[in-house]
Amino acid sequence: MTKRIFRTIFVVAVSIFLASALLFMTVLYDYFSGIQQSQLRMQIDLASQGVEDEGLDYLQNLTIKDYRVTWIGTDGKVLYDSVSDIDEMENHFEREEVKEALSEGYGASSRYSSTLTQRYLYGAKRLPDGTVIRLSVTQNSLLILTLGMLQPIMVIFVIAIILSAFLASRLSKKIVKPLNEIDLDKPLDNDGYDELSPLLRRIDVQQKEIGRQSEELKQKQKELEVMTSAMSEGIILLNSRGTILSINKAAAKLFGTDCFCIGEDIVSINRSLELAQLLNKAKAGKHSEQVAEFGNGQYQMMASPVISDDIVSGIVLLLLDVTEKEKAEQLRREFTANVSHELKTPLHTISGSAELLANGMVKAEDISVFSSRIYSEAQRMIQLVEDIIRLSHLDEGAENMKWDKVNLYRIAEETVNSLTDEAANAKIKLKLCGEAVSINGIKQLIQEIIYNLCDNAIKYNRRDGSVSVEVKDMDDFAIVSVSDTGIGIPTEHQERIFERFYRVDKSHSKEIGGTGLGLSIVKHAAKLHNAEIELQSVVGSGTTITVKFPKNSERSI
Amino acid sequence: MRSKFDEQLELLHKELIEMGALCENAIAMATKALSEGNTKMAAKVPELSTEIDRKERDIETMCMKLLLQQQPVARDLRTISSALKMVTDMERIGDNSGDIAEIVTMANISPSDNTEHIQDMARATIKMVTDSIDAFVKKDIDLANSVIAYDDVVDGFFNEVKTDLIKKLGKPESNGEKVLDLLMIAKYFERMGDHAAEIAKWVRFSITGNKEG
Repeated sequence: MTKRIFRTIFVVAVSIFLASALLFMTVLYDYFSGIQQSQLRMQIDLASQGVEDEGLDYLQNLTIKDYRVTWIGTDGKVLYDSVSDIDEMENHFEREEVKEALSEGYGASSRYSSTLTQRYLYGAKRLPDGTVIRLSVTQNSLLILTLGMLQPIMVIFVIAIILSAFLASRLSKKIVKPLNEIDLDKPLDNDGYDELSPLLRRIDVQQKEIGRQSEELKQKQKELEVMTSAMSEGIILLNSRGTILSINKAAAKLFGTDCFCIGEDIVSINRSLELAQLLNKAKAGKHSEQVAEFGNGQYQMMASPVISDDIVSGIVLLLLDVTEKEKAEQLRREFTANVSHELKTPLHTISGSAELLANGMVKAEDISVFSSRIYSEAQRMIQLVEDIIRLSHLDEGAENMKWDKVNLYRIAEETVNSLTDEAANAKIKLKLCGEAVSINGIKQLIQEIIYNLCDNAIKYNRRDGSVSVEVKDMDDFAIVSVSDTGIGIPTEHQERIFERFYRVDKSHSKEIGGTGLGLSIVKHAAKLHNAEIELQSVVGSGTTITVKFPKNSERSI
Repeated sequence: MRSKFDEQLELLHKELIEMGALCENAIAMATKALSEGNTKMAAKVPELSTEIDRKERDIETMCMKLLLQQQPVARDLRTISSALKMVTDMERIGDNSGDIAEIVTMANISPSDNTEHIQDMARATIKMVTDSIDAFVKKDIDLANSVIAYDDVVDGFFNEVKTDLIKKLGKPESNGEKVLDLLMIAKYFERMGDHAAEIAKWVRFSITGNKEG
């Protein structure tokens, strides 16, 4: 700014100065030339008067330095010259001023010297006798005059530079100062130049607009943040280069990072190859999904490209926790496999025996053996199907079961009594001790729980072992515990024995019998009563399963 | 000009992380192949190793271009020169993983041949490699220092494995070839630990300008 102002001021100053100098000099030069010429004419008049009166003597006695006097004869020959030797001078007849004087009586001319530094003014007058007297005077040319003025001109130049620099800086400061002092936050409160007010008004309007928009954006972002932070699924927004634009709490927690990773590349928080492949596909504009393991869980990753104008401008990465789902899926698969296996085994026996009977391959005395085998296997299948139905009934929440005040001890007593024969067959002592406790519950299911626990305790016992059932009252809880002196359950199986069809020793399931659903039924029935099951088992010395019923359990839904 | 340079540096950072991830995968797969005797998985490791080699060349070219075209100084120069050194170590880790996988395939090493200490050693080495790359990603100098210190643990495991193998060799039913193969595997793990420590040192250099703590 200062530079431009300086340049303008300087150029104006110098050009005005030069123009006026030129004007002055030419005018003055002309003026002085005119004076000189009229003086020259006067001198010639005087000189011609003198020559007329006195002839050559006058000229020879003349002592003037400023003028050069030449006397030219009628034939053009120089008769006298105050500067040069007359013999060496050429004929002057052809000179312009002489010619003019001869014809007109007076002549004048001017010539520049060969170097242009001098100008000669000539004046000539014809005398009555026909000779011509000529006077010439030298005059400095305009160029020399100008050159002579160079020094003061330079001085003025320098002064002009300094002055214009000074003025320029002051001026620009003065111009810029109010501009710099504009408070752009409050554009309308400024009183700068009037010329600025449209601009300031415009700024004010736009500022308000921007403020409103950014407020809106913030609001929207906040809404999104609140929404996503409450989600249990992880959401990450990436730009097309893979830089994180936004990450919600769940995703940050999953990747073990914090919100400071915004603006970083996704590889800096997770560099698994699966994720990289997924993102590459998304970058190519394809939606893709993959299940991967992070930490302790299985997560389904879904990457969708955000496409605008046919260009992938971003990627949305969604992470779903599918650990439970995968587990449930696996359980379901196992259950189906188990059910079909358990159903198939008795069916094979039945079908085989029936085939033999039908073909008449069985001796008459063996018929009863075969048919009783068919009967027992059919019974087993019926029991299995019944168990499955019961379980699915429990799964549904035992809708039609009746809740009552029941006496735990009495139920235990009934159950133990019903199992006495079985226990005696297996040579196992069955004991019941404890006190009468009544709880709110479904009699049928509690019976089921105690029956199944005792049944298992008898089945998985050693010879001459014992099973003791204890019913205890503990203020808020009623406890039924069944302990045996049996084979025990290894630690690695303890978690899984309540699963359907799960067996610790898979190879001997048929000898022992049962459907593999007993403990599963116990688990579900206990769950319906809000009861907790505790398992303590030492391999080789026995197992104790304790069921803790809350006394005032309301029907759980 | 500078913004382009920054962009290139960012890309370099990303490429290095990706190369680190490849290395982690290679060593994890080699270890899994070793512990499960899974030759199918072992066969996949050389593929990863080649990919790591390719990545190394890419990163080297990128670094050279940056050095020539941008003439970086101070921190940027440190970043690029340490990247140049780190890729060499990473590439070696990939190679060593490939070597282990090759031994597993050729020598038919079954899980029963493994001594417990080799498993421990493998785990410790994986931890070192992962941590060294984490230190690079997070520019975490403490983590880098802990990786360097952890090298002694891996070296300790190597000695234990050696003792185990010597004992094994003393038994009449021992298979000398297998013992030697296991020793080689242990040595590869030990080398990978060294490379990981070296990476951590370069991470330290790129942050502080001082390689030797």
